[in-house]
Amino acid sequence: MAEYQNLFTSVQPVGPLHDGIELPRDDDKRTGKPFLVHLLGRIGNAQIGPVYLGSLGVASLIFGMAAFNIIGFNMLASVDWNPIQLIRQLFWLALEPPPPAYGLGIPPLAEGGWWLIVGFLLTISIMLWWARTYRRARQLGLGTHVAWAFAAAIWLYLVCGFFRPIMMGSWSEAVPFGIFPHLDWVSAISLRYGNLFYNPFHALSIVFLYGSALLFAMHGATILAVGRYGGEREIEQIVDRGTASERAGLFWRWTMGFNATMESIHRWAWWFAVLCPLVGGIGILLTGTVVDNWYLWSVKHHVVPAYPLVTPVVVDPAILGVKP
Amino acid sequence: MKIIFKTALCLMAAVMLAGCERPPIETVQTGFRGTGMEQIYNPRTLAKQASLNAAPAAPDAADAEGPKAKDVYKNVQVLGDLSVGQFNRHMASITQWVAPEAGCAYCHNVQNFADDEKYTKVVARRMIEMTQKVNQDYKAHVAETGVTCYTCHRGNNVPTQVWTAPKDRLYANSLLGDLAGQNMATKAAGLSSLPSDPFTPYLKDALPIRVNSDTAMTGAGSYANRASTKQAEFTYSLMVHMSESLGVNCTYCHNTRNFASWEESRPQRVTAWHGIRMARDLNNEYIIPLTDKFPANRLGPKGDVAKVNCSTCHQGAYKPLYGAKMAKDFPELQTLAAKP
Amino acid sequence: MSMLSFERQYRVRGGTLFGGDLFDFWVGPFYVGFFGITTMFFVLTGTTMILWGAAMGPTWNVWQINIAPPDISYGLRLAPMMEGGLWQLITVCAIGAFVSWALREVEIARKLGMGLHVPVAFGMAILAYVSLQVIRPVLMGAWGHAFPYGIYSHLDWVSNTAYQYLHFHYNPWHMIAASLFFAATLALSMHGGLVLSATNPGKGQVVKSPEHEDTFFRDLIGYSVGTLGIHRLGLFLALAGVWFGIVCIVVSGPFWTGAWPEWWGWWLNMPIWRT
Repeated sequence: MAEYQNLFTSVQPVGPLHDGIELPRDDDKRTGKPFLVHLLGRIGNAQIGPVYLGSLGVASLIFGMAAFNIIGFNMLASVDWNPIQLIRQLFWLALEPPPPAYGLGIPPLAEGGWWLIVGFLLTISIMLWWARTYRRARQLGLGTHVAWAFAAAIWLYLVCGFFRPIMMGSWSEAVPFGIFPHLDWVSAISLRYGNLFYNPFHALSIVFLYGSALLFAMHGATILAVGRYGGEREIEQIVDRGTASERAGLFWRWTMGFNATMESIHRWAWWFAVLCPLVGGIGILLTGTVVDNWYLWSVKHHVVPAYPLVTPVVVDPAILGVKP
Repeated sequence: MKIIFKTALCLMAAVMLAGCERPPIETVQTGFRGTGMEQIYNPRTLAKQASLNAAPAAPDAADAEGPKAKDVYKNVQVLGDLSVGQFNRHMASITQWVAPEAGCAYCHNVQNFADDEKYTKVVARRMIEMTQKVNQDYKAHVAETGVTCYTCHRGNNVPTQVWTAPKDRLYANSLLGDLAGQNMATKAAGLSSLPSDPFTPYLKDALPIRVNSDTAMTGAGSYANRASTKQAEFTYSLMVHMSESLGVNCTYCHNTRNFASWEESRPQRVTAWHGIRMARDLNNEYIIPLTDKFPANRLGPKGDVAKVNCSTCHQGAYKPLYGAKMAKDFPELQTLAAKP
Repeated sequence: MSMLSFERQYRVRGGTLFGGDLFDFWVGPFYVGFFGITTMFFVLTGTTMILWGAAMGPTWNVWQINIAPPDISYGLRLAPMMEGGLWQLITVCAIGAFVSWALREVEIARKLGMGLHVPVAFGMAILAYVSLQVIRPVLMGAWGHAFPYGIYSHLDWVSNTAYQYLHFHYNPWHMIAASLFFAATLALSMHGGLVLSATNPGKGQVVKSPEHEDTFFRDLIGYSVGTLGIHRLGLFLALAGVWFGIVCIVVSGPFWTGAWPEWWGWWLNMPIWRT
């Protein structure tokens, strides 16, 4: 196969490194001397840096690092300060929210107090980072679409860790910080509330999750396929449609009967990706607050399929008054 | 540098893949077609398991004629109504089941067999009553297959699958690092980070296992289902234990689309329901009251006695000993003797 | 007509894989081609069979319609129509339709002088379907292991199949796949947002340049993958997500029969640190 497939850049021309578009006067100066990494250049840009370290960013990092360290030290403490066991059991370790008995009260440090502090610090860090994404866009004269997409993810984070626990009257409903433990939480909430597959918002959120993967595969592949016509120069193509956009659009029109434009595909992309956490957050927020058993809710709404019985009818021994 | 990297990568891959199995595998469908309710077995593992879980051959039945054991031997409190022949046969069997190496001396003072000085004799006596209780009153769980001492002990002084309250970590009282009873890799939780002691709340205490609502919408006030997501993790941990103990998966009992529903569950779930109550009963009525009889080295790190859970009998088989009917050869273990 | 303003000049002959000029035409906006014909055949046959299956079933409620594979006892044989045979025929039509669609995309791409990235990417999705409905059932010895055709019934299959391994989240390849899916969604939101922010900069602003896009991400996180790189990255994240999804399910059953948390024993019990 001799034809170039536009997957890896074979020749990397190296010119003067880009210090970035000039910032307005009220901004700080950028940090770091940019440098090149050849391996990165085979996939995308080779240049790393400079970075903008403004007040919002630095503050966000400070709060974030504090949260990260509190989580880490609690994990280390939970294995009796043994660093080898920390590495061995890392995926299992966690910082747990308070047990249910404390409701929404402030628990002792050792029983969920640290979790509450971390939640607070991490949320501040994320909010500051959000403000950073907004401000950096505005300072460069860009629209704030990235910030608003980030807001959808923050919505889901706050639903899981803040809004829903408050509505349920218990911090214990929130997600623990930990690799396997947060997965246990995912299973547990589905087990408790009658199978989240039957939550229609959950189903819709998954549609958008898989749909986003589908869309990025489609869009990424399409652009790479018209790379020979400069397809990746999307801004120029949007403003002044060239043969790349035309071929890309026609490919999909001829395939499925309709197509996007070089601009509108990015709207499809933005909405699919944003709707995943947005709709998912709604689904979680309704769980336990409005709906207590999603399977039974679905039965009520006539969407549950019926299967023929294959075993004799089973009756709950508890209601039979069976004396054990 | 590249060679080291490649070697390391190969080694990691080998280690990871070493944990894997290979086809062919065997499957048993337990629900309607296409629902995904199946049991999956690796036949090679199963064959090995079967050979490790075989029942020993029973000795020939002894003559029921002749004087009763309680009239010939002193201090016979249970099994007194057996003939001497039957009684001795039973003692020989117990030795095989519980103390094949130590022999009679494990329980008895061999100078005076009637003496109760060894704690093992006192415990064994109570455990014989416990075995009879299981076979007589828990037919809903053990049916006609029943149990003998071997079902749990398997030739060991102490059954290999018992549980005690887990040890606290070294710095349990510190300000940091609260495990909240979970979030470590433990065998009890099947190597998950689910709660590591589902036994105390459910197989000793009788905390509610069910967490689901039977209404679609959230109830208010006294109708509210107050079970928390955290409680579901504890139930989940118990269920993982039950599955691992029986070598089955969740679909053995449940249709997981609606765990709570009994109509969509399999009959095995009823058997399991009885099993949970049986385990609680045995722990609370027979085993825990024996706590002060045991020496310190037989107690757990918190000073509690070793108790039963599902794996004590099942040891990875869906029926202990894969359903071998040992109890039928030992009628003396099938009923509680009437107390004088 | 249903042609775009610039479309006519692109409607040329050529690019076909099979059949030459015979099917090289359009119906409305749709390109036909030989594989358009085969697609229609499989789609019509398969859909008819689905409708027939629904008619033979207890309901027309679109959420409840269920066409189930055969019992496992049929092994890899053809089952009677009402006992899963219909499911088998529908599966054949599905594969026929998907492969036809992919080959039609090849013809369209060739005609437009484009690379074949889209049909290749679609091939990964087809591989996922074939792995679930053919490869894994064959490795396990029965068609009955595949998922049923029904909106909610296929989710019941997912739930039960996952719980066969007690806690499917612990499947390491599932963890990787899920992470890649979320990463793909994150990257898509960032890419969509970035392009829109440059071309829709708000009141009083002019459309910005790729240098602005790069500068935004360099300012934000110290690195910008660039206009070409993001499309490679996005395609990779999406395809790698699907790939590891395939791996995670093909391994479950044929190459692992136990609980997924137990798999981690090899890590926990390494001699250097086992407790």
